[in-house]
Amino acid sequence: MEISFWGVRGSIPAPGPATVRYGGNTSCVSLRPSGNDGRLIVLDCGTGARNLGNMLMEGPFGQGKGEASILLSHAHWDHIQGFPFFVPLYQPGNKFHIFGGAKSSALLEGILEGQMAPQYFPVQTLKNMGATIDISAIAEGTPFQVERCAVRARTNPHGRAGALAFRIEDAGRSVVYASDAGYGPEGPPAASLDLYRGADVLIHDSTYTPEDRKRYAPRGFSSVEDAVAAAVAAAVKRLVLFHYDQDYSDSEVDALLARGRRLLDERGGKSIELVGAIEGSTLKI
Amino acid sequence: MKVRFWGVRGSLPVPGARTERYGGNTSCVEVRSASGTRVVVDAGTGIRKLGKELAGTGEGGHSEIHLLISHTHWDHIQGLPYFAPLYQKGNKLQVYARKRDDLHLRAVFASQTDDPYFPVPFDETQAEIGFRELPDAARFDIADVKIACARLNHPYIATAYRLTVDGATVVYVSDTAPFSDILFEDEFVARPPGPGAELPTRDKQKLERMREGVVRLCDGADLVIYDTMFTPEDYTRIPHYGHSRPSDAVDVCRQAGATKLALFHHAPERTDAEIDTILGSTRSAAAATGSALEVIAAYEGLEVDLARGKS
Repeated sequence: MEISFWGVRGSIPAPGPATVRYGGNTSCVSLRPSGNDGRLIVLDCGTGARNLGNMLMEGPFGQGKGEASILLSHAHWDHIQGFPFFVPLYQPGNKFHIFGGAKSSALLEGILEGQMAPQYFPVQTLKNMGATIDISAIAEGTPFQVERCAVRARTNPHGRAGALAFRIEDAGRSVVYASDAGYGPEGPPAASLDLYRGADVLIHDSTYTPEDRKRYAPRGFSSVEDAVAAAVAAAVKRLVLFHYDQDYSDSEVDALLARGRRLLDERGGKSIELVGAIEGSTLKI
Repeated sequence: MKVRFWGVRGSLPVPGARTERYGGNTSCVEVRSASGTRVVVDAGTGIRKLGKELAGTGEGGHSEIHLLISHTHWDHIQGLPYFAPLYQKGNKLQVYARKRDDLHLRAVFASQTDDPYFPVPFDETQAEIGFRELPDAARFDIADVKIACARLNHPYIATAYRLTVDGATVVYVSDTAPFSDILFEDEFVARPPGPGAELPTRDKQKLERMREGVVRLCDGADLVIYDTMFTPEDYTRIPHYGHSRPSDAVDVCRQAGATKLALFHHAPERTDAEIDTILGSTRSAAAATGSALEVIAAYEGLEVDLARGKS
């Protein structure tokens, strides 16, 4: 499997010289299952989706022959604001299957339509986009198939809202995407740990240092310490720090990463590999 | 009068090494009068940094901000939920935008922070927030700043603003298409006009009047900030997206006798080097007409001092 990072930032894009190394685009990750057969899963559609879309247009998506699935963790802006700028959606012939958390598929469609409405965006509705789009609400806990991969979803607490975490399995490999997780003082709930258990890669919300996490607790994000705790408790093989605070400079993210390594070593995670997500980078497993 | 650019980009924010110099944040321009009146035009992601600055100074809790909105497409309002002064008691924010018959301005802004899009609902902001809906061609005062408006040619309609104070004038013209090939109203325009397609006479006349209104708004301005998102090639390909070329801005500024033009609302794909090139060719083209028009390209952090002949 190949995991590519297109946006690794939380809350709002953070352009400027201070974020050039890790990147300032909001959340978007793409997964290519094994076999190099063109299958593609997109995790969240923050502004990073724009660069992903532009790259995809050089292949079959540019000829209206592309097909992909998009999994949305939740609908906060930083996870959907790249959607209107994802160019393959405007190419007739392309097919997209969108999955996300909502009480019904119609409600999920309404949430995405809300972003396209005339007062906010010139295209005015999903129906003007061109590609074939189907939208499905996810039943939590029930495994389902996406691009012939087995997927499970669980809701993590996230401030007043919740955000879905996804586990994607393909050819004996597993990737977990757990962005925007604000656990209570007792740490990750058992159902979340069950989802993360033994994953080859855990991409985990690491918005804050432990100190900032305390200051901004009601916002419902993880610190690097929370990410380490989840990784150790679930005995994952590799932890990827993700969704950095918009105000953290590259050197502050370096420090976050160093702190993560120290915490892993101190807390029984010596064998867990640690990676800081970098916009434009690809991990192979 | 001081004009400060906090966001100069169109469509969506574009972080990265290729936009480092001109900046990747979406549209936001601050105008301050010598007496301290603060008028901000548009609330793209650039407004977040202005908010941080205001919250960090002694002004936090006593800020009075007037926000003129050109139109409510995302790149002109998406920074507002991240504007720190909204969440501090004692601050005042007055929002102005064109009146629409379908939606009240407050509803447009409140929906942006509704569940499930944003964690803090609009009703929980701490600042005192007011909304004022403007008719086309409105004229009014904000303390010592005189404001005039004109309608622009953009999908769902946008407004240009002229601000005059301290004996200086700045005009903000974004977003707009040229006033020649397509008349934009509320409807989505799906494709460019076919080759040889004639505009109905009524549309042509309306566009002519609209352009006259914009030229009049820019009359004798010290600085005109103009949507120049498109290259000539972009405009040929996608004229129905509603943006102008640098040459359209130069023509309007020359005709209006403006002193200085700031190229603005740079396309997300435009690299710093490409903006340098566009600036160079626009300067040459303006000079070739014998015009004294000074051309700059707006960048994040640029401050232009228009008080008493300074520049």
